[in-house]
Amino acid sequence: MRLTDEEKRILNGERGEIAQRCMKFLVEYGEAAGAEYLVDIDGTVDMHPGANWVPAYSVSREEVAALAARGERFKVPTFSDKATAPGFIVDGWETCGVHPSCEPAFHQKCLDDLKPYIEMGMIPTFSCTHYLVSSFWPAPGTHSAWVESSAIPWVNAVLGSRSNFDGCFQTAYLGKVPAYDMHLTENRAATVLVRCETELKRDMDYDLFGWAVGERLGLKVPALVGIGRPTTAQLVKMNSSLNTGGQVRMYHIPGITPEAPTLEAAFQGKKPREVISITRDDLRRVYDMMNYGSRDDVDFVHLGCPHYTIQEVRKVAELLDGKKCSVRLWVMTSPQVYSLAEAAGYRKKIEAAGGMLLSGACAGLLKGNTMPPANKPSVIATDSAKQDYYITGHCYPEKVQVRYGTMEDCIEAAVTGRWKGEWR
Amino acid sequence: MNKQTERIILKGRKVIGGVAEGEALVSKMPLMGWGNVDPQRGYTTERNHPLFEIPFKGKVLVFTEPRGSGGFVSYGMSRMFGTHPAAFVYRKGNNLTVFAAMVANVPTVTDFDQDPTEVIETGDHVIVNGDKGIVEVIKKRKTGR
Repeated sequence: MRLTDEEKRILNGERGEIAQRCMKFLVEYGEAAGAEYLVDIDGTVDMHPGANWVPAYSVSREEVAALAARGERFKVPTFSDKATAPGFIVDGWETCGVHPSCEPAFHQKCLDDLKPYIEMGMIPTFSCTHYLVSSFWPAPGTHSAWVESSAIPWVNAVLGSRSNFDGCFQTAYLGKVPAYDMHLTENRAATVLVRCETELKRDMDYDLFGWAVGERLGLKVPALVGIGRPTTAQLVKMNSSLNTGGQVRMYHIPGITPEAPTLEAAFQGKKPREVISITRDDLRRVYDMMNYGSRDDVDFVHLGCPHYTIQEVRKVAELLDGKKCSVRLWVMTSPQVYSLAEAAGYRKKIEAAGGMLLSGACAGLLKGNTMPPANKPSVIATDSAKQDYYITGHCYPEKVQVRYGTMEDCIEAAVTGRWKGEWR
Repeated sequence: MNKQTERIILKGRKVIGGVAEGEALVSKMPLMGWGNVDPQRGYTTERNHPLFEIPFKGKVLVFTEPRGSGGFVSYGMSRMFGTHPAAFVYRKGNNLTVFAAMVANVPTVTDFDQDPTEVIETGDHVIVNGDKGIVEVIKKRKTGR
């Protein structure tokens, strides 16, 4: 890789051993990835605090604390994705009943461990949908370093800032990232035209559509036509599925997303290499795959993957009005939406019906341990293809069944304890 | 030995250097990490996956693409448990495959002149030269012929 004089000085240790280690990481990573240079981040960083991509270049919590104590700060605006400490729930942990999440000493330890990152300038959004609540977006055309399935298509496709899946302490501390793949204009052009031949109406339709496209495309960049005008919640769901059923990091919706004022612009003037159609049968096939199991006696309902928007939390509160849950219901959101839900009275409504509103975590992060004291459920209901498809792996070798459907299907399961959802 | 051994050379790009060889374990379906790989047991735990519960320890893991979460690096984290593959060979990747290869620190090659999952079959003997970005495939002999 070509390095600037400043980068070479950091690599030689002139800014200390930790900066040197971070630079060594970026250089080795960049060379392995085939990058030719590092680019200055002029957008934002999204990181899982406490996590390191490659142990050989780890920066420990103690080292971060030492840096923070001597006044060192992140070079660029940095936001927190979910904290990966197993069991950490930001809000609602007190009554969740699951160990160690519900133990005050454990909760305090998790908060203490996060403090040095916050001192260095990380904004404590603690959410996979931090981008909905961060109050600060990278401008179109800037370079960023983000993480998380739904966030990567959000930064690239929705915001038009350029990011691979590599946000971390090292990128935030040095404010640099290898320039390749999604950072380069030519790699952001659509190569596949995806025609949606069925009307996408429900939020679930966008979840299923995203998965069907991701499965067919892998790492390719599509232009999506015929998908209507998705709401914020629908975009979040679609992004999550595009980058779980496949590895779609970037897409265009001509006339909607910033790099595609027109269909021609989406392809940067070139012709599509492939044209594919997604039909109602494709959505049905994904729906059937997500319904993994035969039992209809649901014992756990998980909503809010990715973390729900305030509108989704509101809808849950409305659907639960006057009802009583007969099985465990978790509604996951960001700490910031949790505050809004508190102010709007939605948390109270959900809890009055026997449900729980929680923030900053999900069943997957808890390895499926969602039933007190720390057990896995037998039959989970969820409205998220991502959570659905991972949870059986998280619970392995225990065999867990999953029922998948709309938010309404899931609320009905929470109230009755039975799965009545079916393809409609 | 009355049958000639078939040898094929694939030319690609180095990700991680070094030379390793072993039996190929091939996945034509993309690999997925996070909950769907168990680094301790050293195999994929993704339901519906052809490699479900098939150990990759000591194998040359040949696959098409990654998909899903950043937890893909757990394919490399298998190193901590000694269950890691001898080498990675993949058609097309991104930073997730690069990180997994860095963590495992085993010879890794990608971006080939032809699709490795079309050429290599499970059971073939494969020599991965990460330094040169070359993969040599010695086809398994078909039995009963």
